[in-house]
Parts: sequence; structure tokens; C-alpha cells
Amino acid sequence: MKKSKILVLVISVFLLVGLVAGCSGQEASQSDQEGDTKGTVTVGSKEFTEQLVLGQMTLLALEDAGYEVVDNTGLQGSNVVRGALESGEIDMYWEYTGTGWISYLQNDEPLTDPQECFDAVKAADAENGLVWLDYAPLNNTYTVMMQQEKADALAIKSISDLADYSNQADHEEIVFATDHEFSIRDDGLVGVYEKYGFEFDEVATMDPGITYDALKNGEVQAAMGFATDGRIKSFNLVNLEDDKQFFPVYNAAPVIRQDTLDQSPEIADILAPIAEKLDDATMSNLNYLVDSEHKEPREVAETWLKDNGFIK
Amino acid sequence: MNRRNLIWIIVSFLLSVATIFYFVNYPGGKMAARLLNFETITKAYQQHILMVFVASAAAIIVSVSLGILITRPFFSKWASIVDNIVNIAQTIPSLAILALFFTYLGRGFSTAIFALWLYALLPILRNTSAGIQNISPGIIESARGMGMSNLHILTRIELPLALPVIMGGIRTSVVITVGAAALASFIGAGGLGDLIVTGLSVSRNTLVVAGGILSALLAIFLDQVLDLIEDSLRIR
Repeated sequence: MKKSKILVLVISVFLLVGLVAGCSGQEASQSDQEGDTKGTVTVGSKEFTEQLVLGQMTLLALEDAGYEVVDNTGLQGSNVVRGALESGEIDMYWEYTGTGWISYLQNDEPLTDPQECFDAVKAADAENGLVWLDYAPLNNTYTVMMQQEKADALAIKSISDLADYSNQADHEEIVFATDHEFSIRDDGLVGVYEKYGFEFDEVATMDPGITYDALKNGEVQAAMGFATDGRIKSFNLVNLEDDKQFFPVYNAAPVIRQDTLDQSPEIADILAPIAEKLDDATMSNLNYLVDSEHKEPREVAETWLKDNGFIK
Repeated sequence: MNRRNLIWIIVSFLLSVATIFYFVNYPGGKMAARLLNFETITKAYQQHILMVFVASAAAIIVSVSLGILITRPFFSKWASIVDNIVNIAQTIPSLAILALFFTYLGRGFSTAIFALWLYALLPILRNTSAGIQNISPGIIESARGMGMSNLHILTRIELPLALPVIMGGIRTSVVITVGAAALASFIGAGGLGDLIVTGLSVSRNTLVVAGGILSALLAIFLDQVLDLIEDSLRIR
């Protein structure tokens, strides 16, 4: 009795191993046979919504153009993704120019001009064998938000407008919701005060995730957030224009390994028009579809690509 | 008066003052100095103490009354229900309570008070009912034999005898509240948590250490003050 049980166990383990080996072998031979594909591209991404959507977009667009793609999106943390790219585990992913400039290239002073920042990281990363393809207008940086209605009523469109309003003698009290980090950093609230020449009447420090809710519920009159967050759209909030270009720029751009690009230079042309169309409002909307409407990142990416005629 | 309590109270007070002076003079950088100045620290301290005070006071009133109530014979069948409800409140992490009530009550002080209050109930309720239940029935019997009314038994026998246990619960609860109040910073209620959380978010350890030390010293201070109060309430 006992012996037969062990026998069954051993056989089933063998079968399982065989099954797994067989499947992977089949996959490998399949891609070997199809010599006419343009090669395999492994796409990575970080773990948050926007990154997942951008990752899926890239996968879908490359697939549509006839590439074999491997989905390696959703890696935890910037350093892991960057490490995977440098070591060649992934061939490309979307990175933010500001992150590249400060985190990977170890610069202390943030850059606030999109083109300048892009040119700087592109030039510096060329030595690392990495190529920054054309960047998208979407700029996932800090933003100062207000309720759309409130901003319209007070005719406030930019942070300068808000500063002017706050400096009026008879203005309504403006409480500003911020997270802890922004409240103390030089390139946070302190810098905004200096650059725009005003101060909020009161500052409420809280978790970054709840500044949007606090603003929506009218508990504060202005709040910091991240410019492409889906809640900006769904809560009917508005980003005030950073008209003095104070905040560092974090434009998203596809970063690809030089060797991959040499093999398939066409990738740059496939992604350029897509990047061009991705601005803050578009990205905020796509994030909103995933975060609030609970759609799959792939589905959201596919619908958007189709609607804009990038894939069939 | 207990001399040991008094020494602890004075030491923790002086250490707090020394801590504040030290960190204001050596904030460890320009950024940390934005929070490590007398004005900001005093404000954070005030907010912290106010939260602890209001939440604890409300918890003491409610829990002690409930504790007395569920040890009365006619309410004893409710005891386990009340106990379980308060128990459940305690099992939810304090941060989750704060986050949960943020959704309904909004940001800031009142939400923090409510969450802290809910969290402070259990130790006091537990100890009140346990303190009263553990009095030997013989004592109650003889009190009744001497012709004492129920109210007299409660105020002259039960409460005085259970006092050390009840105060133990209150002290536990207050110390927990001092710690939990640091989390109120996440929902915009201020307090010493502002120093700690900000310090963590920008890797400025002086802020974390300053906030941590001040909050720990506050817990020691209040614990010893309550011990003194217990002493003075005790019937000799």
C-alpha cells in the first residue's frame, strides 16, 4: 500500500516536470522556427498604475508591429527596474527624466525645463549604453491643485494667480494639504513660497494619498498631488499651471538598450507618435480608468491605442 | 506622596526640555531646522497633549461607566457583548482606524480624537470590570450584612478596592494613546508624529529621534503623574 503510493507520487512528479519542460521546450522551438519575426523585446515597468499602462501600451504596439514580446512589467521599485535594464534582463521600460537625472545620474540640483532635462539624461546615459527615446508631454511631477469650480470662481489658473489671490487683504482663508516630504523639502513648499512670493494661511500635513480626498471634500482649499494621478480627473480637480517652472520635470520617456535599438531601430519610430500624444490629462484619464473604474491596464492601453489608430 | 514618582516626573520633564533645546540648537541641517524650532515643536507638543488628553478623558469616562455597568447583576448578560465589541475595536490596527474614520469624519483633530478614543477604551474597560469582579464575594456579603445599600457598596467597597486595577488600565491606555497619537499625523491632525513622519520621509534622523524621544518622555511623564493620582485617591 505504502509502496504504491510512493510510486504514484514519483510518477506524478515526473509527469509534472515533463509537462513543464515540454511546454517551455515547445515555446522555445516555436520562436526558433519563426525566423521571420523581427526579434524578441522584453518590456519592463515599475509597479504603479501609470507604469503598468505605459508598459502594456509598449507591448501592444510592438506586438502589432510584428515583434515577439515578453511581458516583464510590474517590477518593484525604480532601482530594480533600472538594474534589470542595465543587466539586459529587460530591453526597455518607461522612465521619468527627473528620476533619471537625480536618482541614476546622481545629480543634486533638479532641472525644471523639460527639453534641458531630457537632453541632459540622454547625453549622460548614452555612456551607459542606454538610449532615451522621445519623451511624452506627460509630466508626473508635483502639482498644486484646487477644486475646478473654486478655481473657476476665483479665476485662478496658475500658481501665480493663487499667489496674487492669497496676497489680497480680504481673501478667503486658504488651507493647503501637503504630504510630509513636500512640506519640508527645498524643492517643495518652501521653494514654492520663495519662487511665487506668498504663503498659505495654514498648512495641513498628511499622508500623500489623502490630500485628494481632503480637497474634494472641501476640507482644504488647495493641495499638493502628482500631476497625472487619476483622482484629479475623477474628483473634478484642476492642476494649477506652474507658470514659473518651479517644479522639477518628470516627463516619461521610453528608455531602451542601445544593442536592442541597433537590432530594431524601427522601435523608436513606433513609439514616438504614441509618446507625443500622452499629455497630463490623457494619462490622468487612463490612470483613472484603472484606479477608479477598475479596468485592466492592458485593456485600457489597448482601447486607447485603437481609438488613436496606433494599432489595429 | 511617593518620592520615586516625583523624581521620575521631574526627570522626564527636564529631559524633555533638554531634548528640545538640544535639537533646536543642533537640528542637523537646514531642512530639519524648519521643524526643529521652538515654535513648531511647541505647537506639535500642544497638539499631541491635547489629543491624548481629550481622547483619554473621554475613554476613562465611558469605559469606567461601562465597566461598572456590566458588573451590575442586571447587566451582566451584556458583559460579553460589550467586551467583544471593544475587543474588536482593539484588534484593528490604529492606523487603519484613523484611515477608516478619515473617510467619514474628514481630516484633522476630531477624527484623530475619535479613533484614539476608540483605541483607548479596552484596557480601561477590561481592568474596571476585572477589578470589580475579582473582589472576594465575602467582602460584598459582609458589607451587605452590615446594611450597606448597593450604591454604598459600589462607592465605599468596590471602587476603592478595584482602584489600583482600574488605574493600571488607565495608565496602560494613556501610554498606548501617546504612541498612537503620533499616527494622527497621517490624517493631518499634527502632533509629534509630524516630526517623526517628516523625518522618515526625507531621511532626517534628528527629526525622527527628537519626535520619538519627546513622545516617549511624555508617556513616562503621564504614567508617573497617574501613579501619583492613584496614590492620592487611595483610601488609607
